[in-house]
Amino acid sequence: MPAWFLRGLRRGVVTTRYPDRPDPSAADLPTPPRFRAGQLTAGVAGRLVEVCPSRALWREDDVLVFDAGACTGCGRCERAAPEAVTASGEFELAVTARDHLIKRIPLPRQPRP
Amino acid sequence: MTTTEPGPAAVLKEIPRVAGHAQVRDDGRLVTVRVPAAQLEAVAHLLAATADARLADVFAAEDGAGAEAGTAPGSVMLRLVWGLDANQRYLVVESVIENERYPSLSDIAPAAFAEECEIYEQFGIRPDTHKPLNRVMLPPQAGPDFPRLGHPPAQPPADVHAPHVVGGHAFEFPVGPVRQLGAESLYYGLVTSGEEVVDLYLFTWHKHRGVEWRLRGRDARDALFLVERMEGLSAVANGWAFASAAESALGIQPARPAVWARAIALELERLYNHAAALAALCQTTGLSVGQSAAEIALERFLRVNAAVFGHRYLFGAVDVGSPGRMPDLGRLRGDLPGAYGELCRAADALLRTNSFVDRLEATGILSAEQARRLGLVGPVARASGVTIDSRADHPAAPYGKSRATAVTRAEGDVLARLQVMLGEAAESVRLIGELARAADAGGSLADLVPGGNPRGAGLGWAESSRGESLAWVAFGDDGLITRARLRPAAVRNWRGFDDACRSQNVFTDIPIIEASFWLTVAGTAR
Repeated sequence: MPAWFLRGLRRGVVTTRYPDRPDPSAADLPTPPRFRAGQLTAGVAGRLVEVCPSRALWREDDVLVFDAGACTGCGRCERAAPEAVTASGEFELAVTARDHLIKRIPLPRQPRP
Repeated sequence: MTTTEPGPAAVLKEIPRVAGHAQVRDDGRLVTVRVPAAQLEAVAHLLAATADARLADVFAAEDGAGAEAGTAPGSVMLRLVWGLDANQRYLVVESVIENERYPSLSDIAPAAFAEECEIYEQFGIRPDTHKPLNRVMLPPQAGPDFPRLGHPPAQPPADVHAPHVVGGHAFEFPVGPVRQLGAESLYYGLVTSGEEVVDLYLFTWHKHRGVEWRLRGRDARDALFLVERMEGLSAVANGWAFASAAESALGIQPARPAVWARAIALELERLYNHAAALAALCQTTGLSVGQSAAEIALERFLRVNAAVFGHRYLFGAVDVGSPGRMPDLGRLRGDLPGAYGELCRAADALLRTNSFVDRLEATGILSAEQARRLGLVGPVARASGVTIDSRADHPAAPYGKSRATAVTRAEGDVLARLQVMLGEAAESVRLIGELARAADAGGSLADLVPGGNPRGAGLGWAESSRGESLAWVAFGDDGLITRARLRPAAVRNWRGFDDACRSQNVFTDIPIIEASFWLTVAGTAR
């Protein structure tokens, strides 16, 4: 404790890194999805929107919208489209504004009929 | 309820004689008997007077679009689930109710009162007595258009309220529904004369989510996803009960690895819940060091769950017909002894602390008679001397091979409930070792029930950390659910909570009693 206090005075930094060291149990946890944009087609996106139980995924024209704040990490999207979705491995999220949790993934444009 | 002979085996032969035109269907572990409504009362009397027969659940289903074959449009099928524990069977008594009244079951078996209230809210039919029915499930703002399983009642049910001044001195003290420390929404109407608990009313409808209503029209696997999440702390037990009911209804035999995996997950679920109950008991008795020690054990159990099944609360460990996730037995053997060691250290130290033990002793007493009359299950019933454990009484594979021993106490107080939980934790660790060895060796599951033909409807059960969890599900010809009934242990045990609080206790005992019951509101306000 005294060493920590003196080091803080000397460096002017009173906090430590977070996490101080990697937590091995994090690898065992279910985590929100990561999308492979190249593999996402309109059909795959439609399937993902359909299976998401917490409505964390929706379509806006040619964009797939993902709200990490609504995702429960259930893994249904990974199972529905394993070629396009993997687990991100990130189980902690911190942002300064709610909107920053929302990601927009452009889908390949449909050819005009 | 007085119990006389005959026993469960003889009563199955006696029912057709009493009911006249009963249709009996024997599926081994489950016997279904359909009796005319006019004979329902006589059959209920016969069963209530039978030694070792207990009323486990009562529920209804409405015909609607032909969901219940053989019933007239607008009629309601009433089902009484009885546990014939000595006979290792469940008995479902069915009866078609074609008007708005049926024989009062709670006058025969008092445990049926909460279900009578629920059936009135959901289906509009009521027992044939003048007793008022309480509001137990749907919120007061639920109008005629509110989603229901049947049709709305003619009159709204009565809200349970004591007058604000009772007998000149006592008054009702409202507690909740928003309560301290992030506990689930629950409202007590606490009647007191100052310090002593005179009476206590529970209002459990704040969290109603209409889960049974939402399950209709889903396939089994899709429904299981919701069932697991209905009561997160019993995801495995409720999931197993539901998956087993669906497998029975669809004629599916679960894969052998699924059977081992479910049992290991179920015992892990029991371990972390019992550790959590110990932490809650420390918190409510103001022992922060003991609470931290128990929470370290709890966190280690949750990490074991994550390492072995990939989820801290074991979601996804059960699937219909196949193993959801296979356990990592190496991590199980490596990590479980340390976590259990933490629990033992915390428990040993606490049980040597007089200020802790004195607070639990003679608090929240429930007698064996109360536990039987109210149909309580799990550690709450076992701590009152009622030996009831569906792993032993209705052993589904692999519990036929790996026999669970029920831990019981006779005192019925908070200390007895804690001792039962600690005894069960030791038993769970032993069982997990046995199950893991058998899974490694690919041991036979001679008692695995063959899949058989699809029956359209089935009953499933599992022993959760809170007690017997039941599920009943019926499918239509399209393979989609027409009616699913979920009866977690919390549904039964909350009805014993007010009795426990009334037994010579004061205000500060209530959180301690609640921690010793370790129930969830989600399990009852489903």
